[in-house]
Amino acid sequence: MSAEAHGNMVKLIWRTFWIMLILTIVEVVAAIFYPHDMNRMPLNIFFIVMSLTKAFYIVGTFMHLKFEVKHLIITILVPLILLLYTICIFLAEGSSWLNMKNTIW
Amino acid sequence: MEATLTAPTTTKNSWNGGVSPFKVSWGKLMMWYFLLGDSFSFASFLVTYGALRFSYDSWPVPNEVFKSFPFVEHANWPLMFVSLMTFILIMSSVTMVLAVHYGNAEKDKKKVAMWLFFTILGGIAFLSCQAWEWTHLIGEGMVMTSNPFGATAFGWLFFCITGFHGFHVLTGVIINCIVLSNVTSGVYDRKGSYEMVEKCGLYWHFVDLVWVFVFMAFYLL
Repeated sequence: MSAEAHGNMVKLIWRTFWIMLILTIVEVVAAIFYPHDMNRMPLNIFFIVMSLTKAFYIVGTFMHLKFEVKHLIITILVPLILLLYTICIFLAEGSSWLNMKNTIW
Repeated sequence: MEATLTAPTTTKNSWNGGVSPFKVSWGKLMMWYFLLGDSFSFASFLVTYGALRFSYDSWPVPNEVFKSFPFVEHANWPLMFVSLMTFILIMSSVTMVLAVHYGNAEKDKKKVAMWLFFTILGGIAFLSCQAWEWTHLIGEGMVMTSNPFGATAFGWLFFCITGFHGFHVLTGVIINCIVLSNVTSGVYDRKGSYEMVEKCGLYWHFVDLVWVFVFMAFYLL
């Protein structure tokens, strides 16, 4: 690795650190100061988007996946689609339990 | 890097084991697949948390459960301590990636050892914070079978999930200690490759990655 590429990589690492730190601080500030009587849905979507952004930086830069061969990236990321499916069915299941608790028992 | 890919120079088809189709060594690829599998274990835990949470009318408010701080009596600082823990973990991820970088790019034994050492310190600091938080919450009456803040499920899910994550951090610290002792004794210099540091780095970043989602589920949502 040339000296220049080397310096760039170190810079990229620290820049990623600052991005992650700022995202986390913004999240905590939002969690503390969001009005209690307001609908939490927008806030929750905000938290999920922020967490996915952080995940992108960790996996992409820290774990170096951005710089790997495209087919390796695909084999790692595609199976995760199953998780979306799992989240959907289990959250629906949870609501159904609540519904049963409130109406049947 | 090239030195680590000792693919035999045969005319075999790539997909029959001739060369490495993904341009990574066997060990690194398998570390990726292990982490993919492990992400499913954590996802199962977090999805269980989601399903149980959806099945309760009321759920403890994180800002009220997590508001204490060590050495501050009756602190009402919501989320401050866990932010500190998150900061420690992100920081240790940075020191780890620097260790990996100096190993791969410069094969600089001293720098790799130094950054690995800081990573281990970060891991130990994180585990100590978690130990304090557990002790504190148990002291307030949140145990596996009862929870003064609301739903019992919140308590046992908290201990199971952060415990499983903490166990990963602990294993990571132990693995990093072994790698550090190998670095200082020159094992990787003799091998001519610091790839083992990189593989352990992948594991360590994964622990950080999982924490992002544990943090989101328990402390933010």
